Formats: sequence, C-alpha cells, structure tokens
Amino acid sequence: MIKYIGKCLLVVENSEKILVIGDLHLGFEEVLNQSGILVGRKMFEEILFELSKIFEKVGKVNKIVLLGDVKHSFGKIVGQEWKEILDLIDYLNSKLNKNGALIIIKGNHDKILGPVVAKRDLEIHDYFIFGKYCFLHGHRGFEEIYDRKVKSWILGHGHPAVKISEGIKIEKYKCFLEGEFNKMKVVLVPSFFEYNQGSDPRENDLGYGFNFNLEKFNVKIVSDELTVLDFGKLENLK
Amino acid sequence: MSIEFMKDSHSSGVLKEMLIPLVQEWFFQKFEDFSKTQLYGVKTIYDRKNILISAPTGGTKTLTAFLGIINYLVGLALKNELEDKIYAVYTSPLKALSNDIFVNLEEPLSEIYALAEKKGLEMQKIKVGLRTGDTSPSERAKMAKNVPHIFVTTPESLAIVLTSPKFGENFNSLEFIIVDEIHAMTNKRGTYLSLTLERLAELSLIEPVRIGLSATISPLEEVAKFLVGSERDCLIANVRLNKKIEINLDFPGKDILETETLDSQKDLYSKLDKIIEKHRTTLIFTNTRAATERIIHYLDMHYPGKYEGLIGAHHSSMSKDQRFIIEERLRKGDLKVVVSSTSLELGLDIGSIDIVILLKSPKSVSRALQRIGRAGHKLHDNPKGEFIVLDRDDLVECSILMKNMIEKRIDKVEFPKNALDVLSQQIYGMAITKIWNIDNMLKVIRKSYCYEKLTKNDFFEIISYLSGEYSLEHRHVYAKIWYDKETGQIGKRGKLARVIYMTNIGTIPSESFISVVISSPVEMKGSVIGKIDESFLEKMKRGDVFVLGGQKYEFLYSRGMKAYVKSNVSQKVTIPSWFSEMLPLNFDVARDIGKFRKLVKEKIEDKKKCTDFIKEYVYCNDKIAKEIYNYFYEQHKFSEIPDLSTIVIEKFKEEKEYLVFHTLFGRRVNDVLSRAYGYAAARLKVRDIQIGINDNGFYLSGASLDVNKILKFVKSKDIDTILKEAIEKTEILKRRFRHCAGRSLMILRNYKGLEKSAGKQQVYSSILYSAVKKISNEFPLLKEARREVFEDMMDIENAKKILELIEKNKIKIKNVNLPIASPFGLNLLIQGRVDLIKIEDRVSFLKRIDKIYWKMFACCGKF
Repeated sequence: MIKYIGKCLLVVENSEKILVIGDLHLGFEEVLNQSGILVGRKMFEEILFELSKIFEKVGKVNKIVLLGDVKHSFGKIVGQEWKEILDLIDYLNSKLNKNGALIIIKGNHDKILGPVVAKRDLEIHDYFIFGKYCFLHGHRGFEEIYDRKVKSWILGHGHPAVKISEGIKIEKYKCFLEGEFNKMKVVLVPSFFEYNQGSDPRENDLGYGFNFNLEKFNVKIVSDELTVLDFGKLENLK
Repeated sequence: MSIEFMKDSHSSGVLKEMLIPLVQEWFFQKFEDFSKTQLYGVKTIYDRKNILISAPTGGTKTLTAFLGIINYLVGLALKNELEDKIYAVYTSPLKALSNDIFVNLEEPLSEIYALAEKKGLEMQKIKVGLRTGDTSPSERAKMAKNVPHIFVTTPESLAIVLTSPKFGENFNSLEFIIVDEIHAMTNKRGTYLSLTLERLAELSLIEPVRIGLSATISPLEEVAKFLVGSERDCLIANVRLNKKIEINLDFPGKDILETETLDSQKDLYSKLDKIIEKHRTTLIFTNTRAATERIIHYLDMHYPGKYEGLIGAHHSSMSKDQRFIIEERLRKGDLKVVVSSTSLELGLDIGSIDIVILLKSPKSVSRALQRIGRAGHKLHDNPKGEFIVLDRDDLVECSILMKNMIEKRIDKVEFPKNALDVLSQQIYGMAITKIWNIDNMLKVIRKSYCYEKLTKNDFFEIISYLSGEYSLEHRHVYAKIWYDKETGQIGKRGKLARVIYMTNIGTIPSESFISVVISSPVEMKGSVIGKIDESFLEKMKRGDVFVLGGQKYEFLYSRGMKAYVKSNVSQKVTIPSWFSEMLPLNFDVARDIGKFRKLVKEKIEDKKKCTDFIKEYVYCNDKIAKEIYNYFYEQHKFSEIPDLSTIVIEKFKEEKEYLVFHTLFGRRVNDVLSRAYGYAAARLKVRDIQIGINDNGFYLSGASLDVNKILKFVKSKDIDTILKEAIEKTEILKRRFRHCAGRSLMILRNYKGLEKSAGKQQVYSSILYSAVKKISNEFPLLKEARREVFEDMMDIENAKKILELIEKNKIKIKNVNLPIASPFGLNLLIQGRVDLIKIEDRVSFLKRIDKIYWKMFACCGKF
C-alpha cells in the first residue's frame, strides 16, 4: 500500500513502514558558490525542518529509502556535502525502528557517493527490491527490476511538477505521476529539493530511462507539507 | 558651493590672446573664428574653473573641451616641460569613440606638429592613450610603460585603471577631467561614474578641473551638481545655437483609425519610401529592436530589391563589429537609410543625415531633440525631423512633444540617489587600492552628489554585507573586505580580490535570455527568431500564444536555454509580454498633455474654434487638428475627457468587471498607482487582480470591484508600505534583484577563470531571490532592488504627490458607468502592459482550482 505524505511516500509492505524520499541535491548552494553565485547556506536546515514535520506524522519507520541524487555535484564531493550527508544519515538513523535500515539508491549525480556513506557503514545501491516494490533512481534500468515478483516501480530523478493556470495566473507545483508501464504500477516521485518545483513533463523531457506514456499518468499535486490533491490524468490537465 | 549660469561668453579677442602663437596660427588656418561654445568654454577651462557646457548636437563641444588643454600642453611641450604623467582624462560612455577622438584631438595635434616642424620649432610629443573594454592586453601593457598625457576612456575602464596599483599612480597630479555625453548618465552608470570621479579626485594631489559636456537637457543645475559633487563650484554655459528646428507630424493614410488595418501598412511604407527618396540620407528611429528589423523587412517586401545594399539596422543587440560597419558606411555616404532603436541617439559622429523620422513617440522632449539633432549634425545645418504616428494616443502625445520642442521646453531628468549596489562595487574597488579609515571613506563617498545624503546606516549595512556579516557561519562566501571595528580600518580580503573586481566591474546588467527556435513548420525548423526572458518562459505553458517581433508564436516545449515554438499561428494571443520595458512617457510631458486636454475640453462644443485652437497650440495642420478634435469629441460624447485636474474612472463589464483609470501621468507614476489600487482591490476580495498599465492610465479587472472602497484604501501616507507589499511577489522585483546582485558582485560573471554564461545567472534568479529572502527581508541589496523599482523604474515621489492632490480635492475624480470601453480606454485595454497583483497564496489557489476540477469532471468521471 502506498500513502502520499507531502513530497514523500509511505509504503507499507509485509507490515513494514518504508518512507521514500525523492532527490535531495545536498550541496547545491556550495556548487552555486563555486561558480560565483554567492548565496548563503540555508537549504539543509530547511530540509531537516520539513523532514521533522513528516516524522511527526508517520512516527518511526522500518526503512527509509533515498531515491538517489542525494548530493548535487557531479563527480566530486564538495565540503558542504560531506558534512550534510553524514548529518542527514545520522538524523534519519535516529528515526528508524530497531533493526531498521537506511537504503541509499545511486543517482546520476552520485558518481562517488560511496566513500562518504561508507563512513557510516552504508553502501549505495543501484536499486532496492522489497516485496513487490522496486525502488530505483530512474535514469537507467537494470535486468533485475523486471523480475516477475516486482509489481511496482518507485522512481526519483525526473523532478516532475505541473503548471496550473487560471487566466494569466500560473503557478507550478511538485507532483507525483502515477501510471502503468509493462503492466507494472509506476510512481514517479517529485524532488525533495526545495529551491525549485521541478519540470513540467508537458514542456520538458524529464529524462527517465524508460519510455513512459506520461500523458496517461495520474497527477497528484503536492498541496502542502503533508497532503496531495488528485488532478486526474495529465492529458486532461489544463 | 555655488552653481552659476554664465551670463556672457568671453570675447573672441580675449580667447585669441589666450592661445599661444602656434596654436593660434593652427586654429585660424583651420577655422574662421571661434564657435559660440568655444567662446564660453575654452577660457573658463584654461582658467581652471569647473564648467558644464550644454549645447545642441553639432555645437563643437568636444573641441571646446580639448582646445584649452591642447593649448596648455603644447605650451609645455614647446618649453620641454611636459612630464611623464596623465594631465587630462576624457571619459565617454561610448566605446566606439576612436573616430570622434581622431577628429577632435589627434588630428588637431598632428596638424600642430606639422606646423611646428614647418616653423622649425622643437616640441615634445603629446601622447594620447585610448583605453576601452576593447583595448588589447598588449596595447594596455604598452600604455603602462609609455604613459599618455591625455587618457581617453569609458567610465568602466577608468574604474579599472584606478584600481591597478602602478597605473593608478599616473593620476597623482591629474589636472583635467572631461565627462562627455553627461546627459546619457542619468542612470546607475552615472552613479557609478560619480563615485569614480571622487576616487580620482581623492587620488590626485591637486584638485582636477571638471568639464562636463551635455546635449540639451534639464535641469542643468542638477547635471552640474552631478558633475562636481556636493562641495565644489561650477559654472554652467547654456549655449543656445540659433538653429531652427524643422519638425513635422503626420500619419499615413487619410484617416488615422484606418492606420491599424493592413492597407495602411502599405500607406506607411509608401510614405517612408517617399521621404527616403526625397533625401540623401534618412535615419529612422523606432523604440524597439524588434521594430527595427521589422521595418527593414517590410520596406524590402513592399519595394523588392530597391533598398538592397542601401539600408542598414543599428541597435544595441547587434555586435560591435556589425554596428561599426554600419557607422562606417553611413560616414562614407554608402547608405540611404538606417533604422535604429536607441543606439544612434548618442553623439557618435555618423556623417551627414538629412532627415530623421521618429516612428512612434520618443516619449520625452530631450530624447526627441537628441534624435532629430542627428540630422544637421554640422554646425550650421538645421535639425530636420518628422514624427510619423500610428494611433490616436501617439498623435496627441507627439503633438505636445512637437510643441515643446518648438518652444524649447525641455523635460527634467533625475539621477538615481544612494544606489547601494553601485556603492558596494565601488567600496570593494576602494578597499583594493589601499587600507582606508572608515570615516574618511564615507566622507569621500558623500562628496558625490549621488551619495550626498547617504545615511550612515545604509553605508554600514553595505560594509556588513561586504565583510560577510550576513552569513556568519560561512563568512568566506560573502566576505570581500575586512573591517576592524576597533581601528576603523577597511581593507580587501583574499588574493583574488583585484582579479574578481576587475573582471566583474560595471553596472549594465548582463541580461540573459532564452532563444526562441521554430520547431514547426518544417521548412523553418531550427531558425532562431529572437529571445525572451527566462521568467517569461516560466509564465508560459504549452499552447500559449505570444508575440515576438510583431509575429505570433505558439509555445511548444523547452530544452535547456531554448524555447521551441510553432510559427504561422492564427489563434488569439493568450499571454501578454510582461517584461517589455518600454520607454516611459516623461511626467512633465504627460502633465502638458493633461493641460492640453483641459484646454480642448473647454472649447469642445465649438468645432471651428476648437480645431483652430489646436492648430495654433501645437503648430499642426488641418488634417492633424481635425483628427485630434474628433478623438476628443468622441470621448466627450461617449464618456468624459479626463484632464490635468480630473481623473475619470470608467466602469464596464465583460466577462469580468473593469475599472479604467484615466490617469495621464506617464507609465512610471501609473505603475505605482495601478499596483496600489490593484492591491487594494485584491485585499478587499482576497483574490488576484489583473492590472494593465500604459502612459495614459491603467485598468483593474476582477470579479467584482467596488470603486469607492478601493479609492479609500489608498492614502498618500501609506503608499510606501502598500507598494512594498504589492511588488513583493512580482517578477519585476526578482529580476531587478538579480541585476542588483550582479552589480554588487553577489553574482560574479567571472570567477576563478570560469566565464559563466549570463544564461546560468538568469536561471538562478528566482533561486537567488529565495536564498536572499532566507537571510533577511531587509538585506541591503534587496532594499536596493526595491528602491530601484520604486524610484528608478517607477516614480513613487510623483505618485505620492498625485495622491495628495486627490486628497486635497485639487484633482477630482469622476466615476462613469459605460456599456463598453471608451475611445480613450481602448488603446489601454489593447496594448497595456499586463500584470497580476497576487494575494491568493499558492495553496489556496491550488485548492480552489481543485474544486473547479471536481465540478468539471464529477459528471464524466475524472478518475
């Protein structure tokens, strides 16, 4: 069973609670700084604040899955990321039940995330299969994810969002896209990253490694911290 | 300090006597006598007095400024007393000044040398050095070794050399500073220059004489203060040449209402064609780059091949080389017609132009004069121009502009004051040159007229920003300077400081745009048709139809920095262009139009008397007067004519309710009023309100609008608070903030050797804005962005005055209910720049739309 909790998903399987968190892009501000854009560093604080609201609602969980792109910079690790990734891991660990596990999926930005998470005795995974669910980043596929056991895919990567308009007013919202692919249920999770909403699939190629027919997907818009609103099929959205 | 107008010029005899024999001989070999401008300026400069010289184009201003200096330097050179230092700095905002400098400086010097040689006189060489953004590193190195006596530069390059440790020393005993084209400095570039001048004066052991050269501009006292700063004296020479302005006003076709039809396009181009044929060289001014291209395209369409090789465009988005080719061809007389947006307004020598056509209103008298002054650039030629208007508001506006031009009533300019972004860049530059005492630094800054009233508080906020105090935990991110509170000393921080400063200097924001590329139809696929703002793209969704360069396009999708569109669409435009920052109508001219309306209104019932009055008042012909009369009469019959002391508010209903406010005060004031009243309307109903603005008024549109409540809500004393709230969520503020962040070096164009495309900066504008809001809502650069919006882009001061007049009942408000839009309201509704006053938050908006969806799909199965 899948529950929508704001930007996150709570998957309940085999009586275990799994909290799913989309792309975080930690270290984004430092990367900006390095390219000459001298913004402050406030993102991490806010991420922790948002997460605390979610845990207030769901309580401790058995598993937490990070859907990849935990860090922002490609290929190298900037100073801010080291600290923040470790702080985040410590924080998330504190929200796990006894014998709980934190699972980190490798994203396309996470070329060398391994050494950092190894500091906390963690590994990174290309995908994670639990019961009938398969969690993966989404930029590419793997043979194992087509296993017959697997009935649902849960993906990050694309940062789906939709524009809603009335007259000349336009606002963009993060959203989940939920549909079918190869007779499997697919849920595309929006980014947790809060500096922007994401990309509208009607105007941008979201870059998934699969040929999803997004027009037929259901749009679930993140309304506030803990709720989503169902807006029906993407093709019907005006 | 005293600012004084010169009553009389010096006599030719005095001037002649002042010149040393060699220079005198050269001068009279070349010229018959001194020009009027020279009689005012040359001796004053020679006497080492600060002077602002204002004269129309073609008034020999540049040579006036140089003649006294040449005379002085030639004298020294003959006595072998010329030192290795910079004696005079000449700065002009134009990069392409080499030709003007050749004519006014290098040629005179080489002629004097030839003369000296002929006479067997020995003389040291007077060196002229040119340094602009285009000067190559090797030339720069050469100049560093071989110091020029006269240093010719742009404001930006001047700031750079000031900061370079070795070259800076050459200014230690600077004697003259010439600021050319000072009328083009009523912006942040000027603010920047004013501080550079103070830095220069501080550096030099002697106080250099300041010479300002300006085209016709008003008020000259204000410009003089800008030139000399808050403490020095200045003389003003207001040189009026007896040039008669030949100016005319017309519209294509017989009836202006038909001008908007396709047929009149033909009329317009045939009219242009006739004028071009009659003259040797024609210069056409439009107000936008897009229009420039369009006119060339249509002239060719209507007269295939006729203008091939004889027509050229000149606008600011063309490359320097392209523009230079056009200027060269103009000077050589190869071109018959040139179409320009604003780039040819400045005093660049472009050879002889016979007539200037002003297509669409130039929006201010000084700009109109500047433009037509391009014809008859030579001393004794009269400037000649023709307004061609295409709609009735333009017709009235240009009539008044024409009247004011003929009567020489120049509208007023203002310089931005206390701009904090420019200040931070300059403080950084100052800190790089040496360690400063903070009080001394503030004293130097306050000598600039633009910072005369800078508060200690604002100053120290910028010091805090630059020394990284807003981001304590990551000081290294922000800190550009260090400030020791105990000793009161300020210095630069970091080894890269100088490099960062020099490669990021300047005040012109690097705008960045999304390229618009055609994706369909196939035969046009891939062609780039223009550029749009990134934030504009954010406001569009698939299927939206927008206008670019006069053509309609349907937005399909975007990839990276490109937006793909479909061309040849016939649907209605669904999304207005928010960000076309058009030239605003000058406030004084707007008031003059208001006065004209009042005078016409008084006589409206007597057609003969009224048209005669119009003819006499605006110096126009029967055809124009009749057209203006008809326009006013229709408004009078249908609704009421608004004027200087009457604001008419018209209410009518289409899908929504409309309130059209006829407030003829120019766009900058209307921007304030519309947002304040719009905000009132939005607050009263807790719903977003759409507004539309132009120079003549504004409208509000929403579900239901209560005029009286809306009017009561806005009081002059609250206007600052209301406006701050009303613009908080607008794209304009975000966009301006990005500009300010660039100027204050919060965004670096060049950093650690990476030249970042401006495009990357653009994408991050909203990110930057939200990042800064997280630091503090009163972050000094955010305050500057608001100031820029309130004071530079809008005109909050005059808006406040208008509100006070309303409160005192000196301006009356008339409410009128109408079945449809009135004649005066029509253009506003069609062409007004549209924006939204947002009051409904994101979540409530989403929830409301969600409910609409439920209703819509409940019957047909949404899920």
